[in-house]
Amino acid sequence: MDFLVKYLPLILEGFLTTVQVTLFGVLMGLGLGILLAIGDLYGGKTISTIIKFYVEFFRGSPIIIQLFIFYFSIPTLLNMLIDPITVGFIVFGLNSAAYQKGYIKGAMESVYEDQMTAALSIGLSRVQAIMYVVLPQALRIVIPPWGNEFCSLTKSTAALLLIRIRDLTSAGVSIASWTWRVLETYSFIALIYLLWISIMMKILDILYNKVKIPGIEITA
Amino acid sequence: MADIVMECKNLWKIYGKIVAVRDVSLEIKEGDIKLIFGPSGSGKSTLARCLAMLTTPTKGDVFLRGECLTRSGVNLNKARARIGFVFQHIWLFHHLTALGNVELGLRRVLKLPKKEARERAMQALREVKMEEWAHHYPAQLSGGQQQRVGIARALAKNPDITLLDEPTSALDPELTGEVIDTLRDLAKKGTTMLIISHEMPFAREVADEMIFFDEGTIVERGLPELFFTNPSSDRARRFMARLIKRTRRE
Repeated sequence: MDFLVKYLPLILEGFLTTVQVTLFGVLMGLGLGILLAIGDLYGGKTISTIIKFYVEFFRGSPIIIQLFIFYFSIPTLLNMLIDPITVGFIVFGLNSAAYQKGYIKGAMESVYEDQMTAALSIGLSRVQAIMYVVLPQALRIVIPPWGNEFCSLTKSTAALLLIRIRDLTSAGVSIASWTWRVLETYSFIALIYLLWISIMMKILDILYNKVKIPGIEITA
Repeated sequence: MADIVMECKNLWKIYGKIVAVRDVSLEIKEGDIKLIFGPSGSGKSTLARCLAMLTTPTKGDVFLRGECLTRSGVNLNKARARIGFVFQHIWLFHHLTALGNVELGLRRVLKLPKKEARERAMQALREVKMEEWAHHYPAQLSGGQQQRVGIARALAKNPDITLLDEPTSALDPELTGEVIDTLRDLAKKGTTMLIISHEMPFAREVADEMIFFDEGTIVERGLPELFFTNPSSDRARRFMARLIKRTRRE
């Protein structure tokens, strides 16, 4: 696979783009997902319905379509040019939030009632109870599904090539078309995805064990 | 005449068609120990929760040192900080150590500086003889130890009154003993308490007044001696007979 050596800078650049979009996506998804989960649990009927539409849109349509919608409609609607990578960040963040909201809400509900009552009984406000009692426990539970989300998000970033972003997959496509060494190129690209995901899974595993509450096994 | 710490007037709690609490009026004075007992499902816990404003009463008023808590616009968080509550199923915060459980309210509700909160939390744990276990998590403690932490958590803020909802009924007889010992210590110190319990020897020893509760309301109330010798209502008499028989068996 010597021929690949000269393309390494290109592959590295693509890889870094993929990593950036993935990390930004899951982190933005986490923050927004927490807000959506809290909104859904406490916001009342109207807010809950709006959140439901949001979640259904992002879970119920292909991410490629979502990328196209944002990529083509924002410049038209807002009459401004937008960098494709910005579209990537936004769409993957919004998309991940829709999935993460479900995990976080489920985890919050599982610790919610007793712990909330106990927290109120010592004089904490609802917001404090969520911050200091419900969320710290819910986020621990959410780590394993979070791993799945990370894994699937990483792979779906391959769709970025369709809005002309040079991600890892798009680097592979270019190299394969220039060299005609299709099998080797794509195998190498797949290996990079595999390694990156494995490393991240290992890190999450270590984190999960580190924050585990002594004495109880947390089950997701 | 001692001050009235907590009072409820014509309190009702209705869930759909079920009347859980029916027109209850009660006052608890400084240093009082009231003991409520009665069949399960009779609304004792609901009453305690209404008094702590953990559920909103349907009708009637609750007063804490003369301040009406059932009026709209009252800061309930502030009021709850002055009421200690001990739960039947304990409900410690799983992710915090014993110390963390006690400290949380001191830090976030009373806003004490870290060092002072720590000292006061340790003091509260000392009072329930749990100092040695301060750095253990709830799941690493026995039920009795957990409940003593629960009591420390409720008392650390020096509440005006502490409500205890069957603090020993989820524990086996051996563990019950250690919690009862803790409560006895508190009673000696003059802590104002409303205790829901069926620990009759303990009740006889510490209660200033016993209240027999059934079908959501107070059926009979009086000195412990009254219940142990000659309750006037049939229902109380039958219930006492059963309880005493059970206690002897144990």
